[in-house]
Amino acid sequence: MEIYVLVKQVPDPEALIKVKSDSELEIENKYFTNFFDEFAIEAGLKLKEKFGGKVTVLTVDNKKVDALRRGIAMGADDAIQITDPALEGSDQFAIAKALAAYLKDKPFDLILAGRQAMDDDAGIVGPAVAELLGIPHVNTILGLEVDDPKKGVKVIREVEGGKEILSCSLPALFTCQKGLNNPRIPQVMNVMKAMKAQIKKMDLAALGLSAADAGGQAAKIKVQKYLPPPKRLPVKMIKEDFPENVKTLVKLLREEAKVI
Amino acid sequence: MALDFTFTEEQEFFRQMVRDAVNRLIMPRVKELDEKEEFPWDLWKEFAALGYLGLRHEEKYGGMATDTISQMIFYEELARGSCGFAMAAIMQILMGTYFIALFGSENIKQRILVPAIKGEKIGTICFTEDQSGSDLGGTRTLATKVDGGWRINGRKQWITNGPIADFTTVMATVDPKLGLKGLNFYLVEKKTADRDGFTPGQRLHKLGSRCSVTGELVFDNVFIPDENFLGEQIGKGVQYAGDILNEVRIMTAMNALAIAKGAMEDARGYAKNRIAFGNPISKYQLIREKFAKYWAWYEVSWNYTYKCAWMIQNKITCTNECMLAKYHATEMCMYAVEEAMRIYGGNAFCTEYPPQRYWRDAKFLLYGGGTHEVLCDYLGRIFCKD
Repeated sequence: MEIYVLVKQVPDPEALIKVKSDSELEIENKYFTNFFDEFAIEAGLKLKEKFGGKVTVLTVDNKKVDALRRGIAMGADDAIQITDPALEGSDQFAIAKALAAYLKDKPFDLILAGRQAMDDDAGIVGPAVAELLGIPHVNTILGLEVDDPKKGVKVIREVEGGKEILSCSLPALFTCQKGLNNPRIPQVMNVMKAMKAQIKKMDLAALGLSAADAGGQAAKIKVQKYLPPPKRLPVKMIKEDFPENVKTLVKLLREEAKVI
Repeated sequence: MALDFTFTEEQEFFRQMVRDAVNRLIMPRVKELDEKEEFPWDLWKEFAALGYLGLRHEEKYGGMATDTISQMIFYEELARGSCGFAMAAIMQILMGTYFIALFGSENIKQRILVPAIKGEKIGTICFTEDQSGSDLGGTRTLATKVDGGWRINGRKQWITNGPIADFTTVMATVDPKLGLKGLNFYLVEKKTADRDGFTPGQRLHKLGSRCSVTGELVFDNVFIPDENFLGEQIGKGVQYAGDILNEVRIMTAMNALAIAKGAMEDARGYAKNRIAFGNPISKYQLIREKFAKYWAWYEVSWNYTYKCAWMIQNKITCTNECMLAKYHATEMCMYAVEEAMRIYGGNAFCTEYPPQRYWRDAKFLLYGGGTHEVLCDYLGRIFCKD
């Protein structure tokens, strides 16, 4: 099976993030591979082990390629970085357009992605790529069963109160949810291989796209303003005796905190 | 650019991968590993399967032949988890297989090194005796030349992995009167029904680093073939020991850095949440000073230890530097774990909270690679040019 996995390097949850200006964030230089992308890589590798073929990891990023290296460390065969100065400031649709432009001529059976990136939490790129390629997609899958790729696949996703089981023909795109599998810890042999791996680079021109297709000017989504989360208010101690303190608490919850 | 403090992109990636493996395999079990005080065979097998035991060794024996800086990155990240497990693994990676890789015959490498890299055979090294440790010249374990080989007699103590070891590199003297000049290294395997070898003696119960098993090895007139002599010529053991001790010392410094950081980062989390007199205690100057002092000493130590790794990698003589790094990092660690105990207040005194574990583990680092009294005496002598 020819499998492509879309990956992204995102800020580590421990990284300090500050709002620098209305439209700019200052992010500490601590990044890791998007949590959900590891389930996608693992699912791809499992299918390769069963049916043979090739797993290629693919990212759009001008600087960080560690998500690609992690893919190789886990066992992917190839890594492609789509990089171009014109991609700066792109929204999810422009990213999807670049990915689809790369994938459209490729003989893929399956495209996998994480269910969403942990930085913007948008969950748009995966489905948008499928739409641009005109192939079916299922999001947040928890199960993927393949007996014969020619006959399609069975995917399982969680729905309110139960599970939904769908059959789907290939090629298709699925976005992966935690619980789909247990991503492997890379063996050091593969880590070393990943450290030395040559990452193939593609720019927009090589994909048949122009600068106008990407970056801020092509964005369908524009960030109006970044706001930091509100600071936690100081603890207020109610120093009255029972039952007055309960009355005061209820009053405060209703009138100040506005939670009841 | 002669002065460059950056890690390569590859080294940063390597750190990320090791950290990830430690986070997933070891971190969830740190408390259990400490409390059980048993060698975690299941974790050992999982860890060995990832291939890290071959970190230093040649690729043709199943190793990765990484550079010294990557090895130090690995030690630093591994020790962030369980100090005990790190000690057991590093014994295998560094000390336990060092002389076998350096001087072993092809036969020995195939028979011992290859399974050791796979984690199938456990190795260790023996320096310490009841009357000698940092004082290597006081070694009394005797190696006597006999027809076709050697006979080893003596008892070695404080042997990490000793109770479970399949093979060891033992430091022994051809004549105790020769002091440092009589020392050599020999490969000795565990005694079996059809092979002479060492027998494990008493196991020790330790204050910290508790999931690495430590004990005595007994060499009772053990015959070993000539092939098991590890070295180029007789009497050069102390010179070889000098080379390995450089690496052992900065490895110990890395462990100290990791423990100090773990203790202080946990303490920071505690201090930001523990309320006293209406504020988190991290808002009080006396608590902040502890963090500031630790931070200043930690950064200095961390940079200097990596400088030593860089010197080893570039084959620059650095015996004194490695001693200084070990001494500084371990003393810094003593400060950090002690202050973490104070930041936690009374809670530090119960085993439910982590600072006591960092405190106990840290003490283990005072002795390996030379006690601080021995190191300081030597360094002071060098400084005074006496």
